[in-house]
Amino acid sequence: MRRRYLWAGLVTVIAITVASSAAAMSNHSQKAQVLRISVGAEPPSLDPGLATDTTSANVLFNLMDPLILLGKAPALKAVPGAASSWSVKGAHVVLNLRHNVRWTNGQPVTAQDYVWSWLRTISPELAADYAYQFDGIKGATAYNGCDPAKADCNALKAKVGIKALGKYKLAITLASPQPWFIQQLSHTSFLPVNKAAVTKWGNKWTEPGHIVTDGPFKLASWKHDASLTLVKNTKWRNASKVKLTRVEMPIIVDGTTAENAFRAGNIDIDDTGVPPVDIPSWKKTKFWKVYKSLGTYYYGFNVKNITNVNQRRAMAMAIDRNQIVTFIAQAGQVPARGFTPNGIAGGPTITKHSSMPATSKLAQAKALMAKVANPKKDIHLYVNNSPGHVKIATAIQAFWKELGLNVTIKVQEWKQYLQFLGPPPNSDVDVYRLGWIYDFPDAYNGLVLWTCDSGNNNTNWCNKKYDGLINKATRTPNNAARFKVYQQAEDILTGPNGDLPVMPIYWYTFHALVKSNVHGFFVNPTDNKDLTKVSIK
Amino acid sequence: MLKFIVRRALWTIPVVLLVVFMTFVMMRQIKGNPFQVTERAVPVSIQRNLDRKYHLNKPWYTQYLYYVKGVFTADLGPSLVQRNQGVNDIIKEHFPVSLKLGGLAMLWAVVFGIPLGIIAALKQNSVFDYAVMTVVNSGYAIPNFLIATLLIYFFALKWRAYTPFPTNGWGGPSSWVLPAIALGHAPMTFFARIVRGSMLETLQQDYIRTAKAKGLRWRRVVGLHVLRNSLIPAVTAAAPLLGFLITGSFIVETIFGIPGIGKYFVTSVTGRDYSVTMGITIMLSLIIIVANLVVDILYGYLDPRTRDVRT
Repeated sequence: MRRRYLWAGLVTVIAITVASSAAAMSNHSQKAQVLRISVGAEPPSLDPGLATDTTSANVLFNLMDPLILLGKAPALKAVPGAASSWSVKGAHVVLNLRHNVRWTNGQPVTAQDYVWSWLRTISPELAADYAYQFDGIKGATAYNGCDPAKADCNALKAKVGIKALGKYKLAITLASPQPWFIQQLSHTSFLPVNKAAVTKWGNKWTEPGHIVTDGPFKLASWKHDASLTLVKNTKWRNASKVKLTRVEMPIIVDGTTAENAFRAGNIDIDDTGVPPVDIPSWKKTKFWKVYKSLGTYYYGFNVKNITNVNQRRAMAMAIDRNQIVTFIAQAGQVPARGFTPNGIAGGPTITKHSSMPATSKLAQAKALMAKVANPKKDIHLYVNNSPGHVKIATAIQAFWKELGLNVTIKVQEWKQYLQFLGPPPNSDVDVYRLGWIYDFPDAYNGLVLWTCDSGNNNTNWCNKKYDGLINKATRTPNNAARFKVYQQAEDILTGPNGDLPVMPIYWYTFHALVKSNVHGFFVNPTDNKDLTKVSIK
Repeated sequence: MLKFIVRRALWTIPVVLLVVFMTFVMMRQIKGNPFQVTERAVPVSIQRNLDRKYHLNKPWYTQYLYYVKGVFTADLGPSLVQRNQGVNDIIKEHFPVSLKLGGLAMLWAVVFGIPLGIIAALKQNSVFDYAVMTVVNSGYAIPNFLIATLLIYFFALKWRAYTPFPTNGWGGPSSWVLPAIALGHAPMTFFARIVRGSMLETLQQDYIRTAKAKGLRWRRVVGLHVLRNSLIPAVTAAAPLLGFLITGSFIVETIFGIPGIGKYFVTSVTGRDYSVTMGITIMLSLIIIVANLVVDILYGYLDPRTRDVRT
C-alpha cells in the first residue's frame, strides 16, 4: 500500500517537472519580446526639466515622444517626431504638433503643454541646470536670471518667446536666427512634462504610478539603484511598429559586474561599458559593437604659461594619436585631426586644414621646438584621477620627453580638478585634460567653447577674430556657408597657422556588448538608443 | 540598568550634534561644486538659482541651523544630485538592504567563526587546529573583493548550471548567499582567531583547573566556565564590527550590484552631495552608538563584575 503511494507521488512529481519544462520551452520558442539591457548608473532624474545626463536621457527618450528626432548620421537631419512639420523664418519658428500624441492618462499633448513645461524649466524657481538650453529663445536668459526675492519675475516670464497658437501650433521667437535650433529640439530638455502630474505629486512626480508620459514605453517600475522596467505603451501613436513588450534595465555600475551578467546570460545588452583591460578579448567576439560619437578628448594649454605657439605645436605634433587609441583607449576611437569630430554634419569640411597628425611627427616637432627661444621645459600636466586618463598622460609624458620636456603628471579628484581649472586656471596648470560631448549635432556646440567669455575655456586664450566667426555662424542659416565659417574658426584653433590653445587627441566612440538575437539596436552619435526599433529574434 | 541606558541615550544628543558639526565643517572645506557634474561649466545665473534653491547662498551658520533643525524634525533635506529624492528617501530605500546584507554576513561570521575557534582551541596543536588556523590566517589576508570575484567566477559563472546563484542583483535568497559570504568572510576568520586565542587563555586559568579538580564533567566546564569567559572579547568586537559591516560594504555592493547604502558613503562625498553625506554620517554614528550600548549591556551579563561600576 505504502509503496503504491510512493510510486504515485513519484509519477506526479515527474509529470509536473516535464509539464513545466515543456511550458518553459514553448515560452522560449515564442521569443518573448523582452529586452534586458544594463544601465551604467542610477538616472539622477526622469524629469525632462532636471535631467542633464545621458543615462536619464536614454530612459526618457523611450518614455517620451520628442518633437524632433535625428535622422541618419552624419547629417543627423531633423526628422518629424511629435511635431509633424515646422517652418523657420529668420528668428521665428512655428511647430505643428501631431493631433494623435496622448499622455498616458489619455489627455492629448497640446502646444500649451510645451509652453508650460518650457517656462517651468526656464523659471529661476526650478533652478534647472540645463536651463541654458533655452538661452537661444528670446527672453529666456533674462527670466532665468531673475531673483524672485528681489523682482517681479512674472513680467519677464511673459516676455519669453514661447507661445501657443491654438491647440497644436507652437510658436517660438529666437534671440537670433539659430540654424541648429530645430535639431536642438531633439534634446531631453525640450520634452514636455505633464502639468497635472507635476502639480499633484511635486518632486515625486517621476516615480512609477505617478509619472505621466507620452512615448512608446511606460515606466512600470523603478527600484532606485537596482533596476527600471519599461512596458510597451499600446496606446502610443506608432505602437504597431514597436516590437518589444518589455524592457528590463538592471542598474549595474561596475564594468566587470555587467560583463559577468552578460556572460551568465542575465542581460542581452551590456551598456555599462567594458573595463579597458577586457576590451581586447571582447573585440574578438561577435558581441562587441562600436558606434560613432560626437565628442572630443583633448588637452588644453594654459597659454599664459606655454606662451610660444611653436612649442604648443611641437607638443601637439610629437604625440602618437594612433598608438594612444590602439593601445590605451582601445575602443575604436579615432585620432582627432581637429577639434570638430568627423561624425558631425560638415565635419570633414570643417577640419579640412586641421593639422593634428595621427602618428608622431617627431622630426618636425623637434625642428619647431628648436625655434622656441625660451621654451617652458618643466611642464605640469593635470588630469583627473581615472586610470585611463593617467595612462594616456603617462604615454604623453614619454612622447614629450623626446622634445626635452620634463613632464610632471598631477592627478586630482574630479570636483577639485574642475574647480582648479577655472576659468581662469590655477597658474600651476600648464596642460590639462578634458573632453567634450556634444549637446546637439552642430559644430557650433563645440567651437563655442573657445570663445573669450566661455565658461569652458580654461586656456586663457582669447581671440576676437575667432569670437567674430563664432558669432557669424549664428547668423548663417545656410549649411554649406556656415561650415565654411566653422572651417575658418577651426583653422584658427588647430590649422597649420592656428593658435593651438587646445590639442585634440581623439574623437570618442560608444561601445556595447550585444547578444546576436537582438536586432535593430543602435546608438546614435548623441548617445541616444531608440528601442522602438529593437526586436528579439 | 535602566538609569544607565537612559543616561547613555541622552548622551547621544551632544554626540550627534558634534558629529553633525564636524561633518558640516569638513564637507564645506573640500572644494568642488555639487552642481558641476561633468566638465560643462555651470553658467553664473544658473549657479545662483541652484544656490538659492538649496540655501547655499546663506552664511554657513544659517545653513547649519537649518540643518540641525531639519535633523531634529527628522528631515535630512534634499539630495543635491538625485534631484527627485530626499536624503530620507535614500536612507529609507537603501539602508534596509545594507542592514540585511550586513546582518547575513554577521550571521555567517558568527555561525562558522565561533565554532571553528572553539574546536581549534579544544584540539590545540591537532591537525584540525592547524588546518583551521591556516585557512583562517590566509583567509584573513585575502581582501573581500578578491573573494567576491572568485565566488562569482566559480559559483555564478563556471558552475552556473549546478548552482542557483546570480552574478549580481539583490532579489531572492539565492542572490544573498555569495555577497554575504564575501562580506562575512573576513569577520568569520577574525572571530575564529579571537575565540581560539581567548579560549586557550581561559583554559589555563586557575578556576578551570579547580573546576576540573572538583570533578565537574569536562563538557560542563567548557560550556559554563570556559565559553562564557572566552566570548567577552568576541562580543566586544562584534558590535562595532556589525556597524562596519552595515556601512562598509561599498566594495561588495558594487561588485554584486546591490542597491545598498554603502555606495552613497563614497559617491555622496565624491559628488559633494552635502546633505546625503551628512545624513548617512548621522545614521552611521547612531548605529555605532546603539551598537556600543548593546555591547555594554551584554557585557554586564557576561561579566557581572562590570555591572556595579556602570549602574
